[in-house]
Amino acid sequence: MSEPVGGSGARGIVRGPQSFVAGLGLIALALFAIWAGGDLARGTLGAIGPGLMPYGLALGVGLCGAALCVAGLLRDGAQLQAMPLRGPVVILLAIGLFAVTIRPFAFGSLSTPGLGLAVAGPLAVLVAGYASHEARFSELAILGLLLTAGCMLLFGDLLNLPIPMLPTALIQALSGTLPSRTLLRIAAGALALAGLVLLVVSRRSAKREPIDVARHSLTT
Amino acid sequence: MTDLLSNLGLGFAVALSLQNVALCFLGCLVGTLIGVLPGVGPIATIAMLLPITFGLDPVGALIMLAGIYYGAQYGGSTTAILVNIPGEATSVVTTLDGHQMARQGRGGIALGIAAIASFFAGTVATILIAALGAPLTKLALIFGPAEYFALMVMGLAFAVVLAHGSVLKAVAMILVGILLSTVGTDLETGQERMTFGYAFLTDGVDFSVLAMGLFGIAEILRNLDQSETRDVVRAQIGRLLPGAAELKQATPATLRGTAIGAILGILPGNGAVLGPFASYTIEKKIARDPSRFGRGAIEGVAGPESANNAGAQTAFIPLLTLGIPPNAVMALMVGAMTIHGIVPGPGVMTKNPNLFWGMIASMWIGNLMLLVINLPLVGLWVRLLKVPYRLMFPAILMFCSVGIYSIGSQPTDVMLIGVFGLMGYLLIKFGFEPAPLLLGFVLGKLMEEYLRRSLTLSRGDLMIFLERPVSAVLFVIAFAIIAAALLPSMRKSRDEVFTEA
Repeated sequence: MSEPVGGSGARGIVRGPQSFVAGLGLIALALFAIWAGGDLARGTLGAIGPGLMPYGLALGVGLCGAALCVAGLLRDGAQLQAMPLRGPVVILLAIGLFAVTIRPFAFGSLSTPGLGLAVAGPLAVLVAGYASHEARFSELAILGLLLTAGCMLLFGDLLNLPIPMLPTALIQALSGTLPSRTLLRIAAGALALAGLVLLVVSRRSAKREPIDVARHSLTT
Repeated sequence: MTDLLSNLGLGFAVALSLQNVALCFLGCLVGTLIGVLPGVGPIATIAMLLPITFGLDPVGALIMLAGIYYGAQYGGSTTAILVNIPGEATSVVTTLDGHQMARQGRGGIALGIAAIASFFAGTVATILIAALGAPLTKLALIFGPAEYFALMVMGLAFAVVLAHGSVLKAVAMILVGILLSTVGTDLETGQERMTFGYAFLTDGVDFSVLAMGLFGIAEILRNLDQSETRDVVRAQIGRLLPGAAELKQATPATLRGTAIGAILGILPGNGAVLGPFASYTIEKKIARDPSRFGRGAIEGVAGPESANNAGAQTAFIPLLTLGIPPNAVMALMVGAMTIHGIVPGPGVMTKNPNLFWGMIASMWIGNLMLLVINLPLVGLWVRLLKVPYRLMFPAILMFCSVGIYSIGSQPTDVMLIGVFGLMGYLLIKFGFEPAPLLLGFVLGKLMEEYLRRSLTLSRGDLMIFLERPVSAVLFVIAFAIIAAALLPSMRKSRDEVFTEA
C-alpha cells in the first residue's frame, strides 16, 4: 500500500498503530491456536470432532485480527501506549515467588522447599510492594507480617482450608510435640507480634527524625 | 398468587434462620469492606472471597455470596461518590453527580439517597424474580439444544453491542474467550485439546483463575501506571438522611430507574451494564433544567443507583431459571454453585426449593442490611478510602494469591493468575475490554455442547436453527442488533450513551 500524497508523513504507513499491532497479535494468537489444535480430528457437521470448534474460532479470531490490521492501515487511530516494565515484572515475580514457596514445587529434578504461608505471604507482599516507586521497606514488612498473621488465623484456624501454613521442615522437626492447630496459633501470634514491634519502632523513629521518611521514599 | 406467597413464605423461613441472617450480614459487611477499596470491583471481590464460603452448607454459602455481591456493589457506589473512582462500569455514572454532591458537602445525602434508591429497587426486583421465576422455569422446559444455543448467541450479540469502544474488538474478545474455553478435555471424546501435555490444563482453565487474573491482577497493573490522584472528599459528609424536598425530587427518578434497570437486567449478555447509563440519559432528557446534571443533581444519583441495583438483581433470573449466566458475576455464582454440587438451571427450583426461595428472600434481607450497615459505618469506609495505594495493592495481591490457592491447592493456579493478569493488562493497553472475553469463556463450553447436540440431532443440517421458531426468532434478534450497532447513525448514539456521561 502506498502512502497517500500529502498524508500525515510523520505517522508513516500505519495510521492507527494501536489497532494494527492489536490485529497482528490476534493473528498470531489464531495461528498459534490452529497449530496447537492441529492434531485434533475436526469431523463433519453431523458428527463434530473435538478439533472443529477450536479451528473455527481460531479462524474467526484471525479474521478479526486481519480486519483490525486493515483498519489500522486505513484509518487514523490511537497511538501505542507507553508500557512501563517495572510494575508487570515485579508483580509477576511476587506472584511466582508465592506460588513456588507456598508448597514444594518441582522444576524437573529440583524442588523448592515448602515454606508455607508464614513465609510465602510476607515475601509476596514485600516483593510486590516494590512495583510502586513509593515502596518503603519498613511499611511493607509491617503490612506483610500483620496480613499474613490475619490470613493464617482466618483461613487456617477459622475456615480450616487446606493451605500449608508453616515450613515443612519446621513441622517435621516439631511433629509430636504440639497439636498442629496450637502450632499455627503460636506462629500467627509470633508474626503479629513481630509486625506490631516493627510498627512501634518505625513510629518512634519517624517521630524523632522526620527526614528519615523522606530518605526512605527515595530509595527505590 | 397464593403460590407466590407460600413460596416467599418458605423462602423467608429459610433466610430468617439465625445462621442465615448472620451469614447474610457477614457477607454484606465483608463485601462492602473489600468493594469499597478503589480499583476493586464486584468481580474481583467475589473471586477473592469465594473461598471463605467453602465450609458452609450450600444454602448458607449462596446467601453469603449474594450478600457479598450486594455489598461489593454498594461499596463501589460509595467509592464513586466519595473518591470519584468507579469500582466498575455500572457505577461510572454515579461519579458524575454523586461526587459533585460530595464536594458541595452533601456527600451524606448522596450516600443516603443511593442506599434508599437501591433498597427500593432491590425490593421491586426481589418481587419480580419471585413472580417470574416459576413461569420462566416452565419456559425452560420447552427449550431444546438449538434454542439454548440461539439464546446464548443472542446474549453474546448483546454483549458486543453493550461493550465500550470498537465492535470489532468486542467480537474478537468474545471469540478469544470461547477459544480459551475449549482448552482441556473434550467432553464427548475425552481427548485432550491444546493442553500440550500439562496436567494442570487437563480440566481446562478455571473460571475463577481467569476472572481473578483479568479483573484483580490486571487492575493492579493498570493502576500502577497512573500516578495516584485520589481525590477523597475533604468536605463534610453532612447528614445522611435526605429531607422531604429531596426525597420528593428523587422519587420519580428512582421509580423510572428501577423499571429500566429491572428490564435491562433480565437480558442475557450483561444488559445490567446499560441500566445506569440509560437511566441517567433519560433523567437528563426529561429534566426541566438539564444543566443541573453534572453539578450535583440528586436525580442523577437516585436514578442510576436504582437502575444499577435492580439490574444487579434481575440478572439472577436467567441464571436461576435457564442456567445461563448473563454476566461475569453470575458466572462466578455458577462456579460457587457447582462447588456445592448444584447445577444451576430450571432444576434448582424443583429440586432445591429451599435454596431457590431462600436465596430470593435473602436478597431482600441483604438489601435491608445494606441500608442498616452502610449508613452508620460511613465513617469507617471513608477512613478505608484514605489507605494509600502503595499499601493496598500488595494486600490485594496477597488475598488473590491465597484465595486462588485455597480453591484448588495448585501452585500453577497462582502462576496462571499472574499470566492472565499480564494478558488483561496488555488487552487494556491495546484498547480491548476484558469483560466480553470473560462472558465468552463462561458461555463457551455450554455453547459448544449445545451446538454439537443440536447438529447431532439434525444430522449435520444447519437449518435446524432456523426451522425451529423460537431459535429462529432469537437468531434474527441477534443479527438485527449487531447490524444495528454497525449502522453509522446507531454507532454514533451508542458512543453518545457511553460518553454522555
